Amino acid sequence: MTRLSWRLAWRIARRGLDWRFRGLRLLAACLVLGAAALAAIGTLTGAIDRELTARGATMLGGDAEFTVAARPASPREYAAIAHAGRVSAGVRMQAMAQTLRGDGGAVPIELKAVDAHWPLYGTFTLTAPDGTTRQAGAPVGHNAWIAPGVADRLGVAVGDHLRIGAADLVIGGVIGDEPDRLGEGFALGPTVIISAEALRDSGLVSTGTMARWKYRVALPQGAAPQDTIAAFKAAFPASGFEFRDRTRAAPGLDRFVSRMGQFLALVALAALAIAGIGIGNGVTGFLEARRGTIATLKILGATGADIARVFTLQIVIASVIAIALGLVLGIAATPLIGLALRGVLPISAGLVIDPLALGTAAAQGLLIALTFAAPPLLRARAWPAMALLRAQIVPLGLPWRALALPVGAGLAGIVALAVLPASQPLLALGFLGGSAALFGVLGLLGWGLTRLAAHVPRPKGTIARMALANLHRPGAQTPALVVALGFALSAFVVLAGVETSLDGNIARRVPARAPDYFVLDVPRDSEATFRALVAHNAPGATVRTVPALRGSILAYGAPAHMTRVADLKTIPDDAWVLRGDRGLTYADSVPQGNVVTQGHWWPRDYRGPPLVSVDESLIKTLGLHLGDRITISLLGVERSATIASFRRIDWDSFGFNYVMVFSPNAIADAPHNLAATVELPGADRTPAVRRAILSSLVRALPASSVIEVGPVLGQARAILAQVGVAVLAAASVAVLAGLAVLAGAIAAQRASRQYDTVILRVLGASGRQLLALVLAEYGLLSAILGLVALGLGTAIAWAVVVKLFDFAWLPDWSSIAGVLALGLALVMALALGGSLAVLRTRPARALREL
Amino acid sequence: MQGSPYLCDDSGVTSTPPIITARNLGLVLGQGEARVTVLDGIDLTVSPGETLALLGPSGSGKSSLLAVLAGLERAGSGTLQVAGQDFSALDEDGLATARRGRIGVVLQAFHLLPTMTAQENVATPLDLAGIDGAMERARDELIAVGLGHRLNHYPAQLSGGEQQRVAIARALAPAPLLLFADEPTGNLDHTTGEAVADLLFARSAAAGATLIMVTHDEALARRCRRVMRLEDGRVISDTAA
Repeated sequence: MTRLSWRLAWRIARRGLDWRFRGLRLLAACLVLGAAALAAIGTLTGAIDRELTARGATMLGGDAEFTVAARPASPREYAAIAHAGRVSAGVRMQAMAQTLRGDGGAVPIELKAVDAHWPLYGTFTLTAPDGTTRQAGAPVGHNAWIAPGVADRLGVAVGDHLRIGAADLVIGGVIGDEPDRLGEGFALGPTVIISAEALRDSGLVSTGTMARWKYRVALPQGAAPQDTIAAFKAAFPASGFEFRDRTRAAPGLDRFVSRMGQFLALVALAALAIAGIGIGNGVTGFLEARRGTIATLKILGATGADIARVFTLQIVIASVIAIALGLVLGIAATPLIGLALRGVLPISAGLVIDPLALGTAAAQGLLIALTFAAPPLLRARAWPAMALLRAQIVPLGLPWRALALPVGAGLAGIVALAVLPASQPLLALGFLGGSAALFGVLGLLGWGLTRLAAHVPRPKGTIARMALANLHRPGAQTPALVVALGFALSAFVVLAGVETSLDGNIARRVPARAPDYFVLDVPRDSEATFRALVAHNAPGATVRTVPALRGSILAYGAPAHMTRVADLKTIPDDAWVLRGDRGLTYADSVPQGNVVTQGHWWPRDYRGPPLVSVDESLIKTLGLHLGDRITISLLGVERSATIASFRRIDWDSFGFNYVMVFSPNAIADAPHNLAATVELPGADRTPAVRRAILSSLVRALPASSVIEVGPVLGQARAILAQVGVAVLAAASVAVLAGLAVLAGAIAAQRASRQYDTVILRVLGASGRQLLALVLAEYGLLSAILGLVALGLGTAIAWAVVVKLFDFAWLPDWSSIAGVLALGLALVMALALGGSLAVLRTRPARALREL
Repeated sequence: MQGSPYLCDDSGVTSTPPIITARNLGLVLGQGEARVTVLDGIDLTVSPGETLALLGPSGSGKSSLLAVLAGLERAGSGTLQVAGQDFSALDEDGLATARRGRIGVVLQAFHLLPTMTAQENVATPLDLAGIDGAMERARDELIAVGLGHRLNHYPAQLSGGEQQRVAIARALAPAPLLLFADEPTGNLDHTTGEAVADLLFARSAAAGATLIMVTHDEALARRCRRVMRLEDGRVISDTAA
């Protein structure tokens, strides 16, 4: 049997190709959008990963970082760190900066004291008023580098003086690029960088101060930071130090990046699934529309293999052009998403060309197209020409045995391309499995609807009867339409659910009752002064104070066999309490807003063995029971206490909340200060009162620092809003693919109905009757699919918001209903719009075109 | 194709082996209540160069018989030898290959490929058969059917008669042994139909092809040497015209 050569196949294929993409537009649109989504998201996640790896040391400020709270490293500890490599030591704390003009100008700041070795990696720059930048190092003597926020708030410029604590400083420059800013984490005020000498002169630090001492090490070439950390941990198991290395430069950021990465990967997979349906529908529609052509080619002597060659060439040519366009769009979209996420994620906003991401996207698009092309082509091979011509009326079975290999291999390739490069293959596999299940559920629904339509009693009205018949008659594309519409409408609901929930979370970041200030490091013997000072400036203000200490958990569990944190290979995600040092306090009575759920609170003036009350969530997380012991490191000294009670804490109350509250005799003897909240009455929330409080506080209690809640909430809101924009931008790609699928599925259905519409027109059907028929058919489908999409979409959105982002599920149902209604209106508009074109055409002309 | 006795023997229809031998052909379409017996025990022998008309009312099975003989439909039962090949033993690809260059088909609804020009339509079976100079031969064939001025027109730009002439040119371009025509004038007016029929007979005679034609037009049928009448899927008469 002679097989058509590729050259001849190409010659025939070229004749059948319409360079205006007629008949291939759905396929092309879905491929363009699918490839663009996959390319953009693949490029973005790749760029983030590479940036984190390449800039890890710069972001961290060293290859490894050793941090301890409330005390500097002991000489032995420091020696052990310095033994590993070149060390830069620094301190980070909250403080107040005031002007020396006598106008009372003061601003809470994030104070960062650095030694002469800073920065070990990266380049620090200062910005001049004209916008030019110059490279600089650590400030010397009493020079200070200030963030633009400090200059704005205090109205100061380079050369002016500032007082921080007891130190008078000269502003030497305004901070431009701070290489380790992302690694520092969330800032509670604008930054001021000073020298170690200036910090000493400020008198702000002493043992027990709410400050963090950071020791960053630049290791010799080839040394592994993990080994250095492990050696230190082994030498000082009870030191209470926290460790990070260049591969996990910013754990908070890392977690966020990983969540965003997961979300982006899910969006990419969703785009793949939705675009896959579109591409599949497109290929199927293209080949179905050419069934007559295929039959004719068979009549003329073409074998199944010849036909496969001809149409594979056509599909590959169309796909390659569409995918190329998609990749270009994807490359162009990446900087836009990068721009939306600037400052939140470590990515540059420039053009990135990632050959691996682009290659994967292109391969996936082509593989989907070819996999979906297999069934119609193999059907053409198996059935006689006349059977193909009759297929509209007598549907042809699929040659399952012949299909198993090409379709199985194609699907395996698609899954492998999606799962293998994923950072969490199981998540990707699970999502694809979920998509397949959704596909199956919708397919089953489509089949069920077809069967139901065939068996319900026939309505009396002509239009209703015909609409019902359209759902089940031979050639009806109800199952394909249900899958495509179901997927697209569900995607709209998911987007609306996620978006409005994020908005809800942002809105909730403004608590109904929040303090105006957190004040740290109020000396215990100055509590009365502090209260008097606040009362003097704002007589109605509410002041709460608590003892504030910091320490880390070293061991926990039943006294006989306690679990040592240092021995844990990995710390589970939800056991955050074990990571680093935590705020600790002691109290005589149950803290405000807390409820004891197990055990008993100790009596006032309790003098027995040390006790502790613990957040009830740790019962599950750490497997704790009443009577278990917890050992902490407090200023480098081990202390143990027995769990006397568990408490439920209202974390949304936005006051002082502590996971562990000790009996006073357990820790009160350690050096420490107080922390305070100040809540102003509404009438006193004026700039004048605020300025007066800050200015008198900084004068009377120079070692205390203030955190203004308003700007911090604003910063949190801004980050959340940025996340919202990024989510919207990324998800829009999937929604665009959904729109293309929607339009394509309706167009395919319309094409199969064109003949009927023309014949009905010839038989005297009025325009109104024909439109009523379309309305009835799609109205019925839309009503059912609207409900299905609401259920499925809501469930998926809930999973994304609650399980992936750890946010509260706060959807705005009216918005979701609105978006769904818009989607359904779009379905009706597309269906009616398509029919209008046929109505305008003269029947004779339309008949000739059929 | 080379070596076939039909190409080198033109001594007379009776002295050469038959080009078609069908025994007890049966065809059933549909299932359950929709099950219809379309062909029922058809026996048929056709000699090379013969012209045969299949006549009968609608639903008599004449078009289905033509589809089975041309390898466009597979008989449910019986045996069929066409141009020395056992059609009943061939699979779909085997039937397609068997048609190449040997069998031409003209259908009532023309079945031209809508995205190809007239010349490309005619060149396609030549390309499929691997015949060189397909486009040139297609041009010559179209000139022969009087469409030299319509080479680059698409089917939608041609009249019904012109489309059917393209279909005839396409069927005859590879110089087939057998030409099957299913109601070739059924979609055309009387005058155009006459002209197309003249063309069909003239071109098939010139090519030396055996012509088997389905029609319900008695006058057209009388132009064939032999007329076979069908009713309910059975042959009720088989006579010389």
